[in-house]
Amino acid sequence: MADLSVSFTGIELKNPVMLASGVWDLPYTELIDFEKLGGIVYKSISLSSREGNPPPRLTEIPCGVINSIGLANKGIENFNKEILPQLKDLGTEVFVSIFGESIEEFAELTSRITDVSGIEVNISCPNVKEGGLLFGADPDIAYNVTKAVCSNTDLPVIVKLTPEAVDIVKVALSVKEAGASAITASNTFQGLVIDIETHKPIFRRITGGVSGPAIRPLSLYKAYQITRAVDIPVIGSGGITDWMDALEYFFVGVSAIEVGSAIFNNPLAPIEIIDNINRYMDENEYKNILEMKGEVNEERC
Amino acid sequence: MTTFRILPVIENRRLGPYTLLRIKDVGIHKYAGCGQFVMVGLSFLRDPFLLRPLSFLSVDNDSFSLLIKIKGRGTEMLSMVKPGEYLKVLGPLGRTILPGEKGILIAGGIGIAPLFYQSQWMRGGVLLYGAKDKRELVLVKEMEDRGLVVKTITEEKGGTVCDLVMENIALLKGQRVFICGPVAMIKSLREIIRDYTRETFVYLERRMGCGIGGCKSCAIKTGYGYKFVCQDGPVFPLEEVEIG
Ligand SMILES: Cc1cc2nc3c(=O)[nH]c(=O)nc-3n(C[C@H](O)[C@H](O)[C@H](O)COP(=O)(O)OP(=O)(O)OC[C@H]3O[C@@H](n4cnc5c(N)ncnc54)[C@H](O)[C@@H]3O)c2cc1C
Ligand SMILES: Cc1cc2nc3c(=O)[nH]c(=O)nc-3n(C[C@H](O)[C@H](O)[C@H](O)COP(=O)(O)O)c2cc1C
Ligand code: FES
Repeated sequence: MADLSVSFTGIELKNPVMLASGVWDLPYTELIDFEKLGGIVYKSISLSSREGNPPPRLTEIPCGVINSIGLANKGIENFNKEILPQLKDLGTEVFVSIFGESIEEFAELTSRITDVSGIEVNISCPNVKEGGLLFGADPDIAYNVTKAVCSNTDLPVIVKLTPEAVDIVKVALSVKEAGASAITASNTFQGLVIDIETHKPIFRRITGGVSGPAIRPLSLYKAYQITRAVDIPVIGSGGITDWMDALEYFFVGVSAIEVGSAIFNNPLAPIEIIDNINRYMDENEYKNILEMKGEVNEERC
Repeated sequence: MTTFRILPVIENRRLGPYTLLRIKDVGIHKYAGCGQFVMVGLSFLRDPFLLRPLSFLSVDNDSFSLLIKIKGRGTEMLSMVKPGEYLKVLGPLGRTILPGEKGILIAGGIGIAPLFYQSQWMRGGVLLYGAKDKRELVLVKEMEDRGLVVKTITEEKGGTVCDLVMENIALLKGQRVFICGPVAMIKSLREIIRDYTRETFVYLERRMGCGIGGCKSCAIKTGYGYKFVCQDGPVFPLEEVEIG
């Protein structure tokens, strides 16, 4: 039997398959055996409660979805009191995603998080205080956010990058410099859908985040660029729906993966991915994930 | 108990302009409740990516049925599934409701599907049912056999379901009323029946990602902030929700 466990920068997972932030919530515990998962990233939490965007909030695109949920959540106090105790009972590593509207908010939020296996910092949200540009679009701002988080916690800090950065490798290098333990690459791509009856964007906020199989090659390329340039562990996210997608990510060198929108199409996808990676490793005599990582053969003419 | 399974289709037939799919599922009657629905998709396909929410039409010991109106690509593909082929099914989903022994059901078009299911629990009552044309009026005899008084109207002849409700407004006095139909119909009915009914409930539709309360995409504005159609609904007290 292959050993699926992975261990990197203070993070230890029984296998490298995690549930991505925002696509799931507690009702999924009825469907998925959470004990089998490597880890779970709870949806992004802010300092105070946010009701989210007006509907519609999500629609289908070819091979995927586009969402404008607006980071609806009930705030950190509710998370610590109501949600975290339930997550801790699920028998898997619990990560919490955080976001703020300012660097100060990220710092304060961080100081209120304890008792989890790590923090995932969502920098794909707008820096409201400084004009609304995404924190993750600019290497200097990304540096400052990461620094603020890292200096307020002893927990492992994973920074989840946005593919909307002009140069994602520069952002990756600067969050590493600021003390990040790992990087998640990457969040949704910005997209637009027009309602041909009204001639208007279907979302009130105009754009939404695109995810699902439609973005897999785009996200995989971001992960590839980062694993080549930065020497901290990378967690792959974007369009992973089955074990073959997951292998593509491991072969470019990621240490773990997150399954997101795939659960809309098949709620059992994360479990099937784990079982099939296990089978694949046995069949191909890989003893552990490290052996399989980063095997991509770049010799092409 | 909500599960995700791959289940075989055992029947596909036309019912008026709609498609009736029967899906084999032994024991489903033990846990599918009034008001609930399933998310359904073609097995092994990633496009269409999302499963589609469909109400139970009927449930028995070893199967359940769905009634499908073709709206776009997803429902078109689902209505072409042949017996022996398999579907992905997530459910039962949504909150169960108390159907009440009697009461008034108001259906517009395909809105008949969940109300037909609800009538399985009822003993009598009235169905006010509007559709575009005669072909679209389905399951009328079956509803009568269940003891309901059925009054129908078609846009071809007579008018809309709102006209039918106005003609029969005295019946609504002090009753529990359940509505399922297009948004425009619900909006007009809200004004018409406001001062008559004891309680009014509405079956709502929203574009759904997960169907189980995970993604927060099926939000509906209520007097108590946003609620979620898949988890808190799909049936809501009419005065609580913002329609359209
Ligand atoms: C709880 C619930 C129960 C339902 N029960 C039934 C049923 O028993 N029988 C039936 O025929 N239909 C039912 N519907 C509606 C059905 O889910 C949609 O018609 C279907 O998802 C459309 O998919 P499509 O791929 O055919 O159309 P698409 O190409 O995806 O869309 C076509 C049009 O339908 C709209 N639409 C898409 N999904 C929805 C949705 N979920 N609600 C409202 N509008 C939508 C789109 O905005 C678009 O204008 C139900 C919906 C809900 C939420
Ligand atoms: C409905 C929805 C909600 C999401 N919410 C969050 C969120 O709160 N925080 C976050 O970091 N990412 C969020 N994401 C992004 C996912 O975690 C994931 O990174 C992205 O969808 C790409 O992966 P996928 O193609 O596997 O879905 C959300 C995605 C979707 C579809
Ligand atoms: S459809 Fe995902 S929460 Fe309702």
